[in-house]
Amino acid sequence: MSALLSVQDLAIRIGAATPVDGVSFDVSEAEMLGIVGESGSGKSLTLRAILKLLPRQAAVSGRIEWAGKNLVGQSEGAIRKLRGRQIAMVFQEPMTALDPVLTIGLQITESLREHLGLRGQAADRRAVELLDLVGIPDARRRLQNYPHEFSGGMRQRVMIAIALAGEPKLLLADEPTTALDVTIQDQILKLLLRLRDELHMSVILVTHDLGIVAGTCERVAVLYAGRIMETGPVYDIFRKPAHAYTLGLMRSVPEQLQARQPLRSIPGAPPDPGRMPPGCRFAPRCSLAVTECAVPPPLVSVGDGHRSACIRADAVRVASQVPA
Amino acid sequence: MHALTHAAGRLLQIVPTVILVAVLMFGLMRLLPGDPALALLGDRATDASIARMHHEMGFDRSIWVQFWEYLRHAAMGDFGDSITMRLPVGRLILLRLPVTLMLTAMAVVLAVVMAVPLAFAAALNEGGLADTIIRMLSQLGLSMPVFYVGLILLITLAAGLGWFPVGGIGDNFWQDIYYLILPAMTLALSLTAILMRNLRESLIEVLNAEFVQFATAKGLRRSLVLGRHVLRNALISTLTLLGLNIGTLVGGAVITETVFAIPGIGRLMIDSIFARDYAVVQGLTIVLAVLVSLVFLAVDTLQAILDPRVDA
Amino acid sequence: MSQAVATGDLAPSPAARPRRRFRVRAAPTLGVLILALLLVCAIVPQWVAPYAPLKFDYRATLRPPSAAHWFGTDNFGRDLLSRVIWATRIDMQIALFSTLFPVVFGTFVGCLIGYFGGIADVLFRRLVDLVITVPFLVLVIAIVAVLGPGLTNMYIAVSSVGWIFYARLIRAEILTQKRRDYAAAGRVMGYGWPRIVFRHLLPNAITPVLTYWMTDMALAILLGSSLGYLGLGAQPPTAEWGVLIADGKNFMSTAWWMSIFPGIAIVLAGVGFSLLGDAVASLFRRR
Repeated sequence: MSALLSVQDLAIRIGAATPVDGVSFDVSEAEMLGIVGESGSGKSLTLRAILKLLPRQAAVSGRIEWAGKNLVGQSEGAIRKLRGRQIAMVFQEPMTALDPVLTIGLQITESLREHLGLRGQAADRRAVELLDLVGIPDARRRLQNYPHEFSGGMRQRVMIAIALAGEPKLLLADEPTTALDVTIQDQILKLLLRLRDELHMSVILVTHDLGIVAGTCERVAVLYAGRIMETGPVYDIFRKPAHAYTLGLMRSVPEQLQARQPLRSIPGAPPDPGRMPPGCRFAPRCSLAVTECAVPPPLVSVGDGHRSACIRADAVRVASQVPA
Repeated sequence: MHALTHAAGRLLQIVPTVILVAVLMFGLMRLLPGDPALALLGDRATDASIARMHHEMGFDRSIWVQFWEYLRHAAMGDFGDSITMRLPVGRLILLRLPVTLMLTAMAVVLAVVMAVPLAFAAALNEGGLADTIIRMLSQLGLSMPVFYVGLILLITLAAGLGWFPVGGIGDNFWQDIYYLILPAMTLALSLTAILMRNLRESLIEVLNAEFVQFATAKGLRRSLVLGRHVLRNALISTLTLLGLNIGTLVGGAVITETVFAIPGIGRLMIDSIFARDYAVVQGLTIVLAVLVSLVFLAVDTLQAILDPRVDA
Repeated sequence: MSQAVATGDLAPSPAARPRRRFRVRAAPTLGVLILALLLVCAIVPQWVAPYAPLKFDYRATLRPPSAAHWFGTDNFGRDLLSRVIWATRIDMQIALFSTLFPVVFGTFVGCLIGYFGGIADVLFRRLVDLVITVPFLVLVIAIVAVLGPGLTNMYIAVSSVGWIFYARLIRAEILTQKRRDYAAAGRVMGYGWPRIVFRHLLPNAITPVLTYWMTDMALAILLGSSLGYLGLGAQPPTAEWGVLIADGKNFMSTAWWMSIFPGIAIVLAGVGFSLLGDAVASLFRRR
């Protein structure tokens, strides 16, 4: 099964820093891939690079394969044809992402007009359908409303509806639930899952929340300091992590059985983008690091569809079996 | 219905301000040294004729009565008569107002036409050479007094090259426009600078806003993103600024009309102050106050229309 | 973080941000230079001007700019450059005296109105309404007409209305500041209102006032020269840039330099003050 989107060795250089350096992952059709990482790990930049939404000074290298073509190095005009129509994106904060002075109806129909050539009544009807699809009640009337007249969760749904207007095959979701309450988060995630099934659409879900990834994604990529540490099926990553960083992440999640035990965080902090360690970027904080970790470890297969960039994957596997 | 009563309420609020303006001007005029009766009668004045003139003008009554009588008549449109022009003030204002309105309108149009492209060019090029040059020119425009700009234009384009007349107005509408081009350009210069600066800042703020990124991510053409999303958002504060600067515009019009010898209400105001023509000054200020207040009201309403976040 | 402390490298190296620094410095330096030049011309014109300003030379009337007379001569044969230089003092005075009372009085009154509010605030807002409805220029001209033309009367006219703008500015700032916690802390400690308002609130609120003062000085020169041009400000034989321009008005076609050069001085002063205003603004912003 060939991948819908294949990212290989993506690197983004901004000024003297390389906040993304060596990111590779694949997304298949109708699959939800999670990209999980801390703040500053480069996950937003990675997503934006796909649609060429980076600042002017950013230099991108590597391959982003879509429909047989490498998106890296394409002209603005060529990428624009993809935006909204083949690949759509939703942002983290819907209040700032929606135009405050235009009705949401207009913001949906301008996409419909651009991508599907719909106008007037036909466009309005489709807009209502989209709002229904994302679960906005009283859709026809709400076309005339402005963003500030919706609640946070509703606004996020509206943003998703706008993104769906072009009937994209892939939806890039940059932390779509971070700004929302937990209960609303749940609704939005369920919505994304439903859309994936009903529309046969793939989703890349970027988040820092492991719980979200566990509950929604089939596959996950773990990003740290601008590099992919591990990718694989969610079950494998969570139950049989093959990277020291992933192990640390799993361990840091508090479980009910650990009531009144001290929280276990990973000691240290992520490296400065301008001063990345040579070799494995997690090595300075890793309890399992050895001298060979000073050489950049390649992403190798450690199981079916499961790849890790840790040369101590075996030690990690052993450590993960032991209750900590 | 609610909107209508709201608008009516706002209109009524203008009244106290206008009355205060009338009080101010009334008092100020009474403080002017010189006796209008004496000025009018000239050398042939005798004590008796002066006294009679005073009685005719109502100066022998108490100041409060005078003011009350004045207000009463003003509310019905009777602003008294001009001493120097021997015309009812109302008619005099109506004769001269259109020219000033035309001048101001042309200046506003010119200013907007010049400011918008410049602001876009500067904002899209933020920090670059074009931006720096535009900002420097804008700074220069703001530092030039209106009369100086007028004189320069007169010296170069009118007296020098002969492309434009040196002053006055024409005989019909289209000629008027031709005569008012230089004055309108004079008036428009500092306004352009003010608008450009503000619009540029607005644009920069908006261009960096997330919703512009989102609109781009939707695959919309850059021109559409700029024209619809960016402009709408940036224009709101600039239009408000335009309205608030109406006072500067009127002040500039006064000077421009003086430099170009244009028979508008600006020059009328100055001439009347010096001629001690009370009625004209008072009537003019009241009319001006009403017009300016209406502009403020219009600006507020426009803001409410354009920006749905504002509670109209 | 730990790496930075370990190597003792706490400040970003100058090499890291050279461009940023330079651009920020160029504009205010220019402003300071311009104003320094103008101040020198104002304080010691006799050392700067090549000729005495009143020196008539009937053999050299209406001469265009030349090596002997950089700005040309006027209809009385006076060297225009010298007249412009000597006029600097008057226009600098205009900048200062037109704004000094408004700044001080306006700030004082604005502080009180902002802090105490009440009926004074209601009256003040009505006053502001009044002042913005009648164009400033018209008001000033009317007052000058009442008092008579002349610089002193112009200062009185401008000051009597101008303070309102400063009061409005500081009132808005005080309203924000008095809600801050440190104001409440002062009240809780039993400080009297003068101490709270002037010792604590005012220093935090003063920045926009200072910035506005700079631009206002530029505006004062524009206004003063406009009134001078109209014959209502400085009176002849006092040389003031606006008056000089008016003198040249009748010689537009024959001696354009008489009006153009004094105007350049006005523009220069305006630009200088504006740049200084920007510098003050960015100085306070960085703190």
